[in-house]
Amino acid sequence: MAELALQDVRKSFGAVDVIKGVDLEIKDGEFTVFVGPSGCGKSTLLRMIAGLEEVTSGDIMIDAEVVTDEEPFDREIAMVFQSYALYPHMTVAENMAFALRLQGMSKPERRKVVEQAAEVLKITPLLDRRPAQLSGGQRQRVAIGRAIVREPKVFLFDEPLSNLDAELRVQMRIEIARLHGELKSTMIYVTHDQTEAMTMADRIVVLRDGLVEQVGAPTDLYDDPDNMFVAGFIGSPKMNFLSVAATGPRQVSLGGLSLDLPQLKNDLNVGTEYALGVRPEHLFGGEGPGLTMQIEVVEQLGQTAYVHGRLGAEAQPVVVELRDQRPKTGQTIEITFDLSRATLFDAQEQRVR
Amino acid sequence: MTVKTHKTKPPRKRRGGFGSKQEQRFAYLMLLPALALVLIFRVIPLIWGFFLSLTNVDTLGNGDWVGFANYARAANDPTFQDSLINTVILLATLPIWVMLPMLLAILIHQGVPGGKFYRAVYFFPAVLSSVIIGAIFSVVLRYDGSLNNMLGAVGIDAIDWLGSSSNALGSLIAVQLWSTFGMGVLIFMSGLATVPDDIIEAARIDGAGFWQRLFLVIVPSLRPIIEFVAVVTTIGVLTSMFGLIYVLTGGGPGTSTTLPEFLIWLEQGKLNRPGYAAAISMILFVMMGGIAWMQVRIMSRNTNL
Repeated sequence: MAELALQDVRKSFGAVDVIKGVDLEIKDGEFTVFVGPSGCGKSTLLRMIAGLEEVTSGDIMIDAEVVTDEEPFDREIAMVFQSYALYPHMTVAENMAFALRLQGMSKPERRKVVEQAAEVLKITPLLDRRPAQLSGGQRQRVAIGRAIVREPKVFLFDEPLSNLDAELRVQMRIEIARLHGELKSTMIYVTHDQTEAMTMADRIVVLRDGLVEQVGAPTDLYDDPDNMFVAGFIGSPKMNFLSVAATGPRQVSLGGLSLDLPQLKNDLNVGTEYALGVRPEHLFGGEGPGLTMQIEVVEQLGQTAYVHGRLGAEAQPVVVELRDQRPKTGQTIEITFDLSRATLFDAQEQRVR
Repeated sequence: MTVKTHKTKPPRKRRGGFGSKQEQRFAYLMLLPALALVLIFRVIPLIWGFFLSLTNVDTLGNGDWVGFANYARAANDPTFQDSLINTVILLATLPIWVMLPMLLAILIHQGVPGGKFYRAVYFFPAVLSSVIIGAIFSVVLRYDGSLNNMLGAVGIDAIDWLGSSSNALGSLIAVQLWSTFGMGVLIFMSGLATVPDDIIEAARIDGAGFWQRLFLVIVPSLRPIIEFVAVVTTIGVLTSMFGLIYVLTGGGPGTSTTLPEFLIWLEQGKLNRPGYAAAISMILFVMMGGIAWMQVRIMSRNTNL
């Protein structure tokens, strides 16, 4: 149980800046997810917190204590790797007890702690097997078990579910969330999968190119993104971005249609181009103005269908979520805008509020 | 519901392997040259050698069937016994043959400055023929050679490296070690490349210091490689030291550097006793067979690592 703080943390590999100044505070017991596209520096940042990667400048603090130059072990963190990183020559029990053995804990005591953790993770029957004899999901449980027995201040997860198949991933996602509920430890979880981030996090940190784009609760990021990157990255299918021109201080035009945005606090520059962000579920069944769309592709999921097509005379590509309907390719449907949920972005891709 | 049963031909059972008969015939044809080579140069000489070992023929081909007399003679032959003792001494140094290249490979792998240079230098002797190595070291190690000159310069008395029966075998082993350990370094380097960084990082997080990471994580992960190098080295020293012995010591002084392999040549080529030489060859073959069997067992035990 611990708080964690990053103060202007930077990392360069030679001339390449990977982390370009990150400030972040993580509260005690919080489940924080670092999310971003590959190459955004999220794993590097996690490895810096773990002490596996040197910090070029800035400070890392755990419980108000600067640990920037401490060895990984002295930071009292535990890490779960994507590749599991189990010791192949040790049994499951030996793997889990390795850290305790190095601390000089007696064998019976070690066994007791390991058995308790195994109970939690339902891997008791596996304790005397070797990693090579386990499936991917079982190995990941063992890796989590190895972290639990340490009773660390902070748990670090580096894309732990990426090597598992889809079904197992969903199952493990729930188990990790449950584990967090039981242990109430501070956890930092890295993933490139926004669904994992949305479903598990107390708070999401969206990273791009070594910088934090936005920090917030999953629903905050979804409903109230600060910029186009976050708006597009969070949510699946992606938010639609329609190019519009301002025709009044709180009015834009799209395909000859005037759309009023009374929620804006600032005036728009008349004549300037903006991007109107509307999520697929806010494009149908609303009460606002409407445009026609020709359906090009239908992704039918049963209850919902994602319909891809082009909108109006300008033929801007959009995705629309339809519920309880059976649309067909080639059909023309009427799109209505729920403008109260729409967001607007300027040419710098920043949110216009 | 009724199920109609039709009389059908039972599916033709496919012979093992895949591909048409024609393809299979072609495959056997392609295997034939290799098979012929093994037969002509391995299997037939082995059988021939075994029968030879039961006779007392000379190089001219005159001789009689003597049964197992050659084997009985080997059991009582002090020279052969000495060669076996020398073999045991040689095998006792095996840990050095394995540990030295492993240690150097780990140091290079850890990123010692100039690691690539060391790797190349260590490997270099492996491309030299044993005769050249023998010639080099007969200059270095002889009584008035450069090693003793060097020792003299720092005030240490000259040592008879090759001429004294207490030093000769040790010198021989040292020279062979020098000429072959580079191969071991290379094998260990490739083995180290297969130890994932993640595991070593996990050990760091678990609180293992450098030596603990080395002995509790890296070395155990290398166990299959260690056993492989041990077996290969054992077979190597038992079968490929002839050139060095021939050039450096000639098996002497006395029998102090005579190994079974060298003795076979002596009996066959010098003493004109092919039958007896064949008997010793068979004994050496059985010894090697035992080691090969161990190798197979060790490797199959490591399959789940």
